[in-house]
Amino acid sequence: MAGENRLAPASGTVEDDLVRPVSLRALFIAFFTVSLFGFGGGLVWARRIAVDQRRWLSEADFADIVSLCQFMPGPNVVGIAVCTGAKLRGGIGAIAALCGFIIIPWSVGLSLGTLYLEYAHVPVLRNILGGVSATAAGLLIAAGLRLLAPHRRRPAAVLFAVLAFALMAFSRLPLLVVLFGLVPLSIAAAGIEKARAR
Amino acid sequence: MNHTSSLVALSAHLALLSSISFGGFPTVLPDVRNFVVATHGWATDQEFANFFAMAQAIPGPNMILMMSFVGWKVAGFPGAVASAIATFGPACAIYFVAYRLWDRFRTAPWQEIVRRGLVPVTLGLVVASGTVMARAADTSWQAVAMTAAAVVLTLCTRMNPLWILFAGGALGGLGLL
Repeated sequence: MAGENRLAPASGTVEDDLVRPVSLRALFIAFFTVSLFGFGGGLVWARRIAVDQRRWLSEADFADIVSLCQFMPGPNVVGIAVCTGAKLRGGIGAIAALCGFIIIPWSVGLSLGTLYLEYAHVPVLRNILGGVSATAAGLLIAAGLRLLAPHRRRPAAVLFAVLAFALMAFSRLPLLVVLFGLVPLSIAAAGIEKARAR
Repeated sequence: MNHTSSLVALSAHLALLSSISFGGFPTVLPDVRNFVVATHGWATDQEFANFFAMAQAIPGPNMILMMSFVGWKVAGFPGAVASAIATFGPACAIYFVAYRLWDRFRTAPWQEIVRRGLVPVTLGLVVASGTVMARAADTSWQAVAMTAAAVVLTLCTRMNPLWILFAGGALGGLGLL
């Protein structure tokens, strides 16, 4: 039984604590917020809102969605919106989350952007942007580490996370090579781990 | 090429990239640059770099916005709309179908194994992209310290990330980073 427990999906939030049902309006607003606050990476905000604040998804559900989105083509955070919407409310939920994520922020962003292009050379503005991007990088690193925390007691998981990190951050290998090189090995290791635990 | 045919060519190319951009749209940025700057001369290198910086600085769907700036440059407002749809449309359809299939088999034993193998690798990649971004942004030891502070504050407190970002922007604006 102890072995079974270790294999149960690791999760910070217990499934029973999750909030249901979720309204379409709430989905629209949540992903509107993710989009609006998503300086340098909506992943940080999507996790905070869907897992920590609204309790729609467990830590494991969210890690699941992130993995799938990393593996699929396209803008990943859009994928997180679509998958979260689909999980909570099906097709209509996916559309609500997607519209919240895109429509208003896109219109505002496009207007701001064309205006901003005129002033892109002003030094103070450049410095502010520099500070924001240094901070945003730190937030992204922390979001990844937090999602990894439930897996820290599995040696194989730690090994493959470190390998993926090191290959991507320090080698010049293309992402596709890293992804398709490590994933089969990591899955094989998980299979062996499961077989042993039985 | 007139505006309409430029726009069709750009949209078709973005839609193709959208369907093959495994690991996110930033991975295909070099290809977009070649297409827009080198092949067609729709924008200069400097303009392309500005589009990127702008999309990162403005809250919202970054890569979709960036492609919209490119589309805007090529064909005005219709260009911006068409580029946005080409960037997220095909990928969204793929996400939706893939997630429905994935969710349907969520209790299958094989999926549990696949998930336990997949999750650590992809999360390692998230940490790596944060590190790569940090390397681009951290041009001084003060900026490195700001990145490290953001990591620690996020991991150890429940502080709203907006305050941390605000602090970073303020320190940068004062010329301290």
